[in-house]
Amino acid sequence: MKFYKVKVEEREVLGSYTLLRYRWPDRPVEPGQFVMARAAGYPETLDPFLARPFSFYDYDGEMASLLFEVRGRGTALLDLTLTIEVTAPLGKGFHIDPGLGRAALLGGGIGVAPLKILGRRLDTAGVPHDVFLGFADARSAVVAQEFQGAAVATMDGSAGNHGTVLDAAGPLEDYGAIYSCGPNPMLAAVKLAAGENSLCQLSVEERMGCGNGSCNGCVVPVRGGGYIRSCLEGPVFPAEVLAW
Amino acid sequence: MVVREQKSRVDLAVELCGLTLRTPLIPASGTLSKEALDEVEGVYGAMLPKTTTPAARAGNPPPRVAETPAGMVNSIGLQNPGVESFLQDLDAFDLGVPILVSVAGDTVAEFAWLCEILAGDARISAVELNLSCPNVECGGLAFCAGPASVEEVVAACRSAVPGKPILAKLTNEGVVENARAAESAGADALTVINTLPALTVDARARKVLVKGGLSGPAIKPVALRAVYDVSGVVNVPVIGSGGVVSGTDVAEFMLAGATAVQVGTASFIRDPQEILDEFTSYLKDNSLSAAGLTGALRGVRPVLTGGEDI
Repeated sequence: MKFYKVKVEEREVLGSYTLLRYRWPDRPVEPGQFVMARAAGYPETLDPFLARPFSFYDYDGEMASLLFEVRGRGTALLDLTLTIEVTAPLGKGFHIDPGLGRAALLGGGIGVAPLKILGRRLDTAGVPHDVFLGFADARSAVVAQEFQGAAVATMDGSAGNHGTVLDAAGPLEDYGAIYSCGPNPMLAAVKLAAGENSLCQLSVEERMGCGNGSCNGCVVPVRGGGYIRSCLEGPVFPAEVLAW
Repeated sequence: MVVREQKSRVDLAVELCGLTLRTPLIPASGTLSKEALDEVEGVYGAMLPKTTTPAARAGNPPPRVAETPAGMVNSIGLQNPGVESFLQDLDAFDLGVPILVSVAGDTVAEFAWLCEILAGDARISAVELNLSCPNVECGGLAFCAGPASVEEVVAACRSAVPGKPILAKLTNEGVVENARAAESAGADALTVINTLPALTVDARARKVLVKGGLSGPAIKPVALRAVYDVSGVVNVPVIGSGGVVSGTDVAEFMLAGATAVQVGTASFIRDPQEILDEFTSYLKDNSLSAAGLTGALRGVRPVLTGGEDI
C-alpha cells in the first residue's frame, strides 16, 4: 500500500474528538470514502503496526480533514505528530441521487465524520436534508456545533435529547434517502427503522488490516450468506445487502 | 534518473526451480488482491494469489484481524471463491512474471485433485501447498503437524502434478523434520514459514479477540532461524517468509539461505516498491548480486548454536 507523507496543517480539539487537516490537492474524494492514516516515520511505524481507517470528514478540493477519537496507541500518536502518512482515497462512498427527495443523515459517535462532507455534497446537488447526531455524552457531542441545524441526542441526556439518534429523528418513512454511519448495532437499528421505501445507505465501522482488499480482514456478513470486504466493496453499503 | 540507471545494473534475478525470477520477491499468499495489482507492477519476480480450495469458502466470522506489537494476528479462514472461479480470474495476475498458485484442501485427496486441475493449466508455473490448514481426516491437525503427514500429502501432489514444481509451505513447529519429509516426497522447494499460532484477548470484554496466525516483523527472527536451519539440511531451494518489511530484511533472509523471499503483511503498511529499492541499494552498495547472497552465511561459524545455554 502506498502512503503519502503530509503535514498536519491544523488540529482542532472538539470535545472528545480531534479534527486534523492536511493538504490533499490530488484527486477527487467521494463522501463516505476513507483513508488509512498513521503517524509518519518508518521504521518507527512498525509499532503500532497497522494504519487506521478514517472516513473523510471534509474536503474542499485542497484541504482534507479527518475526525478521530484517541482510543489506543495508533490514534494517540496521530494526535501528537506533525506529519502523518495517508493513503489515497479508498473504498466506495455514498451514492447521491437528487431524484429521491429529502434525505435523512444519521450519525452515531465518531460515525458523524462522513456526514459533514456528505451534507456539503448534498447541498451542492440541491438535495434537502435533515441531520440527526447521537453521542454518548455532552463531551463527545461538542462536534455537533460543526453541523448547523442538526438535532442532537445523548445517551446520558447531558446534551440535546435524552436517548438515541433514532429517538431524536423520529419516523423515517417520509425520507427518500437515508444515510447513516455509526456503530454496527446503531446501523442495524437504522436499517430496521428505514423500512423498504427509501434508499438506505450505511457506512460500516470495521477493523481493517490492509485497506485495499488484500487481507479480507474487514468483512461484514451479507444477506444470502458469506462475507464482503468493507474496505473495497464498502465501507458504504446499501442496507439491504447487509445481513443484520 | 541517474540513480535509476545505476540501480538497473544491479543483478536482481534469481533462479527458482528452473524459473527465472527477475527479482527475488514474491507476494505471500493471501496478502495481495487482484484489485491491488496495479500498485506492484515490476516489484515481484513471481505472482502468488490467495490460496484456492476445491469449493468456495465463506471464511471465518469477524473480527478477523487484530494488531499486535510489530505485527498482526489474522483468522481469515481461507475465504475464497473456489478453484473454478479462481481460474476464471487468474489472468488478472498475469503481470509478465511466473504465476505460482497456492492450494489447500481438507484431505490429501483434495490436495491431489487441485494439483491435477492445475497441472494442465499453462498459465501456472508452480504450485505451493498450504500445509498449515487442518486435515479433517486427522482430527483437524494441520497437514504439517508431522513428517509422516507432510510426506503423504506432498507425495500425492507430486504424482498429481508431475510437470510443475511443487513448493511446500511449512509452519515453524517441527520445520526441520517436515522439510526433510517434504524434500524426500518430491517437493522442489520449501516456503518457510507460515504465520505462528497466536491469540489476542480483549480484557475489557473478557473475550477472545482473534485466535489465528501471527505475522509481521514480530516473527522475523523466528522465520530467519527456520530458514537458516532448513537450508542447512535440504538440497532444494528455500523461500523465506515471515516478517520481511525492508530491503535489509530481504538480504538477511537470503544470507541465511533463502533463494527467494516472500513479502506479506508488510505490503499493508508499505509500498513494496520501497522494499525492492532498498534491497537494490543494498546490493549496489556492497557490489553484490541477488543470487550471490543465498546461503552466504554458511561456512561462517555462528557464535551460538541453537538450544544450548549461553
